[in-house]
Amino acid sequence: MNYYRHITVMKFAIAIIFTFALMPLHAQPTADQILERVDRNLSSDNRVFESTMIIHGARGSRTLTSRTYAVGEKRSFTEYLSPPREEGTKMLKLEEQLWIYSPSTDRTIQISGHMLRQSVMGSDLSYEDMMDDRKLTETYDATVIGSEVLDERNTWVLELTAKVDDLAYESLKIWVDTERYIPLKEEFYAKSGKLLKRAVLSDVVQIDGRWFPKTILYKDMLKQGGDGTEFKITDIRFNENIPDYIFSKAALKQ
Amino acid sequence: MKTALKLAYRNLVGAGLRTWLNVIVLSFSFVVIIWLKGIMMGWDYQAKSDMTDWQIGGGQYWHEQYDSFDPFTLSESHAVIPEQFNKEIALGDMVPMLMVQGTLYPQGRMQSVTIKGIDPHQNLFLLPTHRLDTVVDGIPAIIGLATAQDMQLEKGDLVTLRWRDANGTFDATDIVVVDIFSSNVPAAEASQVYIPLQTLWEMSDMEGEATLLTFRDEDEERAEVQGWVLKPKEVLTASVDKILKTKTAGQSVFYIILLLLAMLAIFDTQVLSIFRRQKEIGTYIALGYTRREVVGLFTVECAMHSILAVLVGALYGIPFLAWQAKAGWTIPMDAGDFGIAMAQTIYPVFSIGLIISTVLIVVVVTTVVSYWPSRKIAKMNPTEALRGRIQ
Amino acid sequence: MIRFLIKGLYYDKSRSRLPIIVVAIGVMLAVFLNAYITGFMGETVELNARFANGHVKVMTKAYAENESQLPNDLALTEVTALKKELSERFPELDWAARIQFGGLVDVPDENGETLSQGPTTGMGIDLLSSESMEIERLNIRESIVRGRMVQQPGEALLAEEFSRKLGVNPGDEFTLISTTMHGSMSLYNFKLAGTLSFGNEAMDRGSIIVDIEDARTALDMDDAAGILLGIFDTGFYDDERALEIAYTFNAGMDDEDEYAPVMKSLTQQSGMGQLVEVTEKWSVYIIAIFIVAMALVLWNAGLLGGLRRYGEFGVRLAMGEEKDHLYRTLIYESVFIGLTGSIIGTALGLFAASLLQGDGIDITGMMEGSAMLYPSAIRTRITPTDYYIGFIPGLLSTIVGTMLAGLGIYKRKTSQLFKELEA
Repeated sequence: MNYYRHITVMKFAIAIIFTFALMPLHAQPTADQILERVDRNLSSDNRVFESTMIIHGARGSRTLTSRTYAVGEKRSFTEYLSPPREEGTKMLKLEEQLWIYSPSTDRTIQISGHMLRQSVMGSDLSYEDMMDDRKLTETYDATVIGSEVLDERNTWVLELTAKVDDLAYESLKIWVDTERYIPLKEEFYAKSGKLLKRAVLSDVVQIDGRWFPKTILYKDMLKQGGDGTEFKITDIRFNENIPDYIFSKAALKQ
Repeated sequence: MKTALKLAYRNLVGAGLRTWLNVIVLSFSFVVIIWLKGIMMGWDYQAKSDMTDWQIGGGQYWHEQYDSFDPFTLSESHAVIPEQFNKEIALGDMVPMLMVQGTLYPQGRMQSVTIKGIDPHQNLFLLPTHRLDTVVDGIPAIIGLATAQDMQLEKGDLVTLRWRDANGTFDATDIVVVDIFSSNVPAAEASQVYIPLQTLWEMSDMEGEATLLTFRDEDEERAEVQGWVLKPKEVLTASVDKILKTKTAGQSVFYIILLLLAMLAIFDTQVLSIFRRQKEIGTYIALGYTRREVVGLFTVECAMHSILAVLVGALYGIPFLAWQAKAGWTIPMDAGDFGIAMAQTIYPVFSIGLIISTVLIVVVVTTVVSYWPSRKIAKMNPTEALRGRIQ
Repeated sequence: MIRFLIKGLYYDKSRSRLPIIVVAIGVMLAVFLNAYITGFMGETVELNARFANGHVKVMTKAYAENESQLPNDLALTEVTALKKELSERFPELDWAARIQFGGLVDVPDENGETLSQGPTTGMGIDLLSSESMEIERLNIRESIVRGRMVQQPGEALLAEEFSRKLGVNPGDEFTLISTTMHGSMSLYNFKLAGTLSFGNEAMDRGSIIVDIEDARTALDMDDAAGILLGIFDTGFYDDERALEIAYTFNAGMDDEDEYAPVMKSLTQQSGMGQLVEVTEKWSVYIIAIFIVAMALVLWNAGLLGGLRRYGEFGVRLAMGEEKDHLYRTLIYESVFIGLTGSIIGTALGLFAASLLQGDGIDITGMMEGSAMLYPSAIRTRITPTDYYIGFIPGLLSTIVGTMLAGLGIYKRKTSQLFKELEA
């Protein structure tokens, strides 16, 4: 991708964003519209990002860094960069399948069944959480139940109830920034209405014409001790040219 | 021989008090040997009877996917209870149980548990499930002492339970510990929470389903059922049986010591009587008895003690042992930290084989033991003996 | 007078030798049985101690609270120093660090793809250092079915049944998938050295045993351990002492720190207090019944011994001896007999029991297919009780028996007693 084209794309994107950003001033969008806009912000056809995961355990914090290549929602490839013990560990997600490669054993293992329910690297996220890549609009019915000011940002509060029956969470409550269409807070509820998990999204920046929260703090609300898991994107690029072979099991061993 | 028997009998009866003392003591050792051996066997078999009472009943049907050692199979292992069992279930002779993986959060700590749904009115297991039939501020649950200790839960505690329904959707609610039981069966206690079956059906969206079906009658011939695996009792207790087998070596040492007790009882009598009855021996020999006959007479006389002892022992021993086997022997235990009285009952295990072999062994052993000092008679000088001179 | 009596006993063998022998045998049996039952009944407790609970067990406070979950994230750290401190402060115990973990065993095909996989529960124990007593403690060597003991790092033992199910044979490599102390997924390759029989279905279905250093590497637990077990050098659990040690150790610890080590005696661990109590109570009951039976036998012996001497009493009374005096001498004699018999019997019983203490008689060879969780030996356990328990039947019943028999002296007329000389 040459520099000039990149700029053009940027300009175009910015123009679009402005249009959207101005919209709320004119009319209150429906809940579905809001969700659609959120989905558009958060999902992309193609992205490469480096991230840091800080796991605040009861016994101190750990930081892991990784680089991820993703195309669409179905294919992603993550390589851990640090700490030394995890360096070179790679994860490949293809459709519904997940493989992990460890350089010390030179083995590629498929993670399936109950293993998917285990935590990723000791975080408050499970592999399953990572795997569910369906868009919110596909899986939840939304209603706007109010508006709130959150960290000096105006938000709509949306209540999402499952419309398919194989979801981990029956209902969600999300606080969506009225200007940038980014959820600033998400709460995950059990069928009984008990709060299970909370995610706080922050450091919202604009990249390639889309708003993106660079930091997400996850916390299991039933568990005590530890301050959750912080997920920080240190670098993200959209529309990169990602070669196809990266999404193959052979690439894990390289 | 007939005269010897007759004579031996007369001598015994003639000795009066002494004979009866010996017979009573010997009969007592008979009963004690059999009883203690039964108790020891009962102690070893305790694991098995506890399993029956708390975990496996008379046998079980398992859902074909269920693997008791792999909790991860639970999400796949449930199905609607086969209709043919409805009658048995209604009679209370079969108890369906649904099992669901869950997470308990005592004091905010994550603890994996198996949630077991069970009919509160069942009486197949000793589990105090009737306690589940109550209205409290949450779902009533009973847990084992081991779980209570592990998770630091007490009666009346409210604790959050999270699980997934049939579709994998998370749900969570509070349960109330309405009772804590102590079973000695880790498999019935460790990391397990019992709640009413109906409640679990609703919670998990698995109305009418079960993972396990436990039946009461172990002797009944049972058919295989499509989708379920029949696990007869002997299959479920196989590993306990194996361990029991290895304990026989230890048991036999105990048995030998008990037999020595009986031996000692008779040995003393015999040595004393031969020592003190030399004059009599001399008389027998003077009357023309051969020494062998005299030895025979004394041996028979002494062995007769054991026969009499068997009869006397049977008189009170049989009803006593029968009552013991049925009622068991309970010793009181201190109430533990959780205020649970842990009365311990051992049901002695008596087999006909044990009783017959004990009787035979004791009779043979006493005969041998009586013969042994009697040999001395053969060496006696009859004239000296006749004079009652101690040799 | 006592001297005179002893002389009499010495010369009249029928009055002394036989009763003493009988009492001694009875006492010996009682003492030996007591030691034996204590050992036999305690076997289950000791098995638990060796496998999971130790006689005392050190964990972090947080680990102790979550123990059933094998929470290695809450493990003890700086274990070398802790172990050294414990060995210095409590030298009567042998200290062994262990790591328990859960995970999956994954067996590759020739292309490194998963061929078979199964859930596992594992134990990292000290298999390789020379001073370790763990191999003997867990009876590992005797329980090997195929292959051999772990001899170098990177080797593992699997349950025989588990290895068959997975299709992995000694010499093959497999991968352990588990979770590090920090919660990351961990993969670690092991070579199967041998397979084991545990004798417990749960363990036979999915157990792995590896050297603790390998477990540390695999689970990122440098100098850490889930549990630190202390086992008394005597090989037997002593509740009083264990509680005392635990109390002393915990007194010096920070109550607030969740990761400070805490020590728990066997009885303070879940379910174990109950087991120990049940075991002790039942042992006491069983021994009590035996002692009563033995007391009856010896009482009977004493009684018969007295009854048979009625003739002699008659003569003595005829010679003008006072009834009271006669009765007293009779009792003195029985005290002497009971005491001598009890001392000899106790000595013999203790000797016999001591032969079977410690290692005991190895019975592994007597059973087909020995397994780790099967009792491997018949062992006695000598407790302080053994030093006095024999005197109950030995001394007491002999005296009581004689006393009862002696009552005849008062009840019957001299002439009658004299006549019984003829009987």
